[in-house]
Amino acid sequence: MKKKTKIIIGMGILCILLNIVSTWYATVFNNSRLVVPMDFKSYTFQIKDLPMILSVLLTCTYIFALFLVLFTSISKQRKQIEKTNTTRKLNPKLGFLGIFGFLGFAGFWTYTTNGTIFPFTFFLFFGFFGFFYEGKMSGTFMDERFRENAAYAQLKSYKITFPIILIALVILCQGKLFGNLEYTLIATIIVLSLTLALGIFLPEYLLYHYDHDDQIDNSEE
Amino acid sequence: MAEFECRLKKYRQLKELTQEQLAAQVGVRRETIMRLEKAQYNPSLKLAVDISRAVEAPIEEIFIFE
Repeated sequence: MKKKTKIIIGMGILCILLNIVSTWYATVFNNSRLVVPMDFKSYTFQIKDLPMILSVLLTCTYIFALFLVLFTSISKQRKQIEKTNTTRKLNPKLGFLGIFGFLGFAGFWTYTTNGTIFPFTFFLFFGFFGFFYEGKMSGTFMDERFRENAAYAQLKSYKITFPIILIALVILCQGKLFGNLEYTLIATIIVLSLTLALGIFLPEYLLYHYDHDDQIDNSEE
Repeated sequence: MAEFECRLKKYRQLKELTQEQLAAQVGVRRETIMRLEKAQYNPSLKLAVDISRAVEAPIEEIFIFE
């Protein structure tokens, strides 16, 4: 693991620990100030609030820095791709992130227990199964046939996902499903998440197959 | 669509080039050369010209559209 990655992970762990400690401190010694919801209109600073404020500030800075690192590494990678004309380096094992898509089913449970529908968006993660195919093609030289195939794969995925969204829109805009507007909202989130996941997965899957299919005789003749 | 025939393999072998060598010369992957030889890929004008120069054969002799 790179030194930079180790520092990022270490800082993340430190932020989590600081938050846990400051929450514990605020709960035990500061009447849970800044932990439980409070009215900030009448807020006055107390020295005992300092650990909580500092840990939250540090976490916000960490998240900001994390985004900064992410964006700079993406732009660096893009420049590298332009320079070498090869696909980005990616581990196919990242495709396992797609398993998180199954967390979307938790939405049915959370909706029945406390009415939360957010977990349905996890269906989006199914799209990350595409990393498996992208990883297999990582570092591939992008010649004109590859670029043509990539464009065709992208177009085909649009052709598949747009009609799904259109049909879903026509059905869902009718209003209440089974007499309940909440069901319509849930169905909308599920359809959108799954369609977006398909839109992420399909181009990679199709590109891989266009590039590898019917290469039965791969030998040098 | 016009029937496409590719005689690249013949001219490449005449020049004693491997698919890999030709691919490197014209800036494509070996798989692309392989597809071209099987007439499974329709090249761009630039690639066709580059190949024609690499194998030193007229473009209309290598790629035939009927």
